[in-house]
Amino acid sequence: MSFGDTGERRRASDGPLLISGLIDEETVRSIAQEAWSALVGECEFLVPQPGELPADPVSAWVEVVGPWTGAVVLTCGRSTAEQLSRELLKEHAPSVLDDEDIEDGLGELANVVGGNVKAVLPGPSVLGLPEVGTAPQARADTVRADLLWRGQSLTISVQGSAGALTDPHENHENEVPL
Amino acid sequence: MKILVADDSRVMRQIVIRTLRQAGYDDHDIVEAEDGADALAKVSSEKPDLVLSDWNMPNMTGMECLQALRSSGSAVPFGFVTSEGSPEMREKAADAGALFLIAKPFTEDTFKEHLDGVIA
Repeated sequence: MSFGDTGERRRASDGPLLISGLIDEETVRSIAQEAWSALVGECEFLVPQPGELPADPVSAWVEVVGPWTGAVVLTCGRSTAEQLSRELLKEHAPSVLDDEDIEDGLGELANVVGGNVKAVLPGPSVLGLPEVGTAPQARADTVRADLLWRGQSLTISVQGSAGALTDPHENHENEVPL
Repeated sequence: MKILVADDSRVMRQIVIRTLRQAGYDDHDIVEAEDGADALAKVSSEKPDLVLSDWNMPNMTGMECLQALRSSGSAVPFGFVTSEGSPEMREKAADAGALFLIAKPFTEDTFKEHLDGVIA
């Protein structure tokens, strides 16, 4: 059976959507600022300025799967993540926060930022549950906001699963597709 | 009045409970559930007057919980508090019988806007 499809439409839409054409750094910062103001505190500001992440960064991310597929990744130092979780919990924060609380807090911030990033991307798409750990490797298709919160470095990157940089030294065996 | 707050994040459950208090709903009993399955069980055992539920949760999503409640004949008032507030999600929520969808991040004003009239 022939459908008479010349393949022209497929070729025209073959290229994956690139995140740089869908969202910019200022929109990412603005979405994050809204989350910070509502959840961390009214007077908590994210300053668009690159800083240096400490040697012990921790990341939380959510995946978006749809016409654009990738992850929204929030990365900061462990101490920053602890302070953020303490601010989220406020009077319910225990004197010593355990790893679970810190990961829960950072994961929820990534979830809220990710959900709002998803809302400005073409749909329909599905948002994954937050994950915490070592960030998925950034690809060429990435929009990244370098921010400072209380003088501490924090980055939010919206990184596509397409458009990988070709690196002959990259170990592809350990790569987990998004 | 008893309110069931369902979210797999303990931090977010605390934020929802704090925001309820800031919005003036501070004299109600709060029950917490850590996923949709827990919420479904607690609607049966705790008999809340309102469910505030996250959408995206492990084990059972908030939507699956709502559908299971309505299938079992429960008409408990149910609202979503979720990080996704697209028109498509709001339509799905309304079609399934949710009273409202509050998108994260929210403020006490957002809570007042949706809950006045629902919470006595």
